[in-house]
Amino acid sequence: MPNNYLIKGPVTHELISLFLKKIGEKTDSGGHSVFIGQVRADKINGKKVKLIEYSAYEELVKVEADKIIKTVLSEFNDVKSIELVHSTGNVKAGEISLFVLVSAGHRHQAIQACSKTVELVKEKLPVWKKEIFEDNSHEWK
Amino acid sequence: MTIKVLFFGILAEVTGNCCKHYPDVSSIGDLKLRIQDDFPEIIHYNFRISLNNEIINNNPSLNDGDEVAFMPPFAGG
Repeated sequence: MPNNYLIKGPVTHELISLFLKKIGEKTDSGGHSVFIGQVRADKINGKKVKLIEYSAYEELVKVEADKIIKTVLSEFNDVKSIELVHSTGNVKAGEISLFVLVSAGHRHQAIQACSKTVELVKEKLPVWKKEIFEDNSHEWK
Repeated sequence: MTIKVLFFGILAEVTGNCCKHYPDVSSIGDLKLRIQDDFPEIIHYNFRISLNNEIINNNPSLNDGDEVAFMPPFAGG
């Protein structure tokens, strides 16, 4: 399990399985909500995205992700835990770049807190993406 | 005194640097002017600044060994 929220390359199905296996240990939770972010093969000006190259300010990601989790935990008092993993480096179209798992006593807060966490990741996490097209040209997002 | 400056995302590409050291810089404002002198095209980009892993909106003075990052809009997910 990554301890600084970042993983080199895609978030693998194996890693997601590890997180899902561990939810059985959270016997105080009755609902788990998952968000999986995947790289789209967008077509932009006739060119198709083949992968995204993610870069991150790793030290600040740790600071900001800690803050995100603290914020969400303080807003949703039924939430028991939040797991967050983001990719750095290359992630191909169809592969996973973001994983969020929120466990709560009941479903409503699990779902709402998961959504809030994803929105804060988009807004606050110092991560950048460079879309690489099939012709190897690129565009920053 | 020396300040470590980091550039991320498109700013790393525009400046051709991910990391650069600037001696004798008194403040964030002073550093921005120095960077604009070196990389005039940077004025065309939006960015936020962090000082020692804290995002700032003011113009603090700088100390030896400080780390300043120039960060374009975040695009995670």
